[in-house]
Amino acid sequence: MKESEIVDMISRKLAPYILLFGLYLISFGHLSPGGGFQGGVVLASAVILLCLSKGVTQVQKLFPTEKISLLETSAFFLFLLIGIVGLLAGKFFLENFLPLGEAGEVPSGGFIFFLNIIIGLKVGAGISLICFYFFREK
Amino acid sequence: MTETILILLIILGILSLEFKDLLNAVICLAIFSLLCSLLFYYLHAPDVAIAEAAVGAGVATVIFVLTINKTRRKEEVEEEE
Repeated sequence: MKESEIVDMISRKLAPYILLFGLYLISFGHLSPGGGFQGGVVLASAVILLCLSKGVTQVQKLFPTEKISLLETSAFFLFLLIGIVGLLAGKFFLENFLPLGEAGEVPSGGFIFFLNIIIGLKVGAGISLICFYFFREK
Repeated sequence: MTETILILLIILGILSLEFKDLLNAVICLAIFSLLCSLLFYYLHAPDVAIAEAAVGAGVATVIFVLTINKTRRKEEVEEEE
């Protein structure tokens, strides 16, 4: 594939901001529109943008496939672990065990914040992995 | 505004079915998703609009284009045989 300087420059300048926007969507998911799934897909789209411009082998130096795969699988167990901690604290499965902050601030959601982060990382890693295999297959 | 977007959605849907070239059809589907997310935003569902714009117009389009790149038209295969 022929390299285009314009696509290369724009994607390199744009990808960090897309990653930042994805992290914002994830961490403010319980206050404003967004959440784990949407933020995760936005994170993955930044990775896809880099793949389109620099090629998949360059991107895999930054995001190694083994680590992404490990993140994707371990996120599910982290989710279960957080649910079980609620059980150990004498409440139901996936019930909040953290103190609630003031309404309208980031800590006001209890442990939903952590659940959003885990879901976002899992979705982002999963979709990035799908696209890595699509780009590499020949 | 809502009616205009709905009519455009119907036109784009029919176009994406009728196009012979698959790349044109995929581009039509991407515009379809973009208009869909605009419609969701107008109907006060920004949450769904973000998901539709990211998945429909971003990830799905890339996957479709990659798949088209890696396959061949039926006529080309028949010519080689």
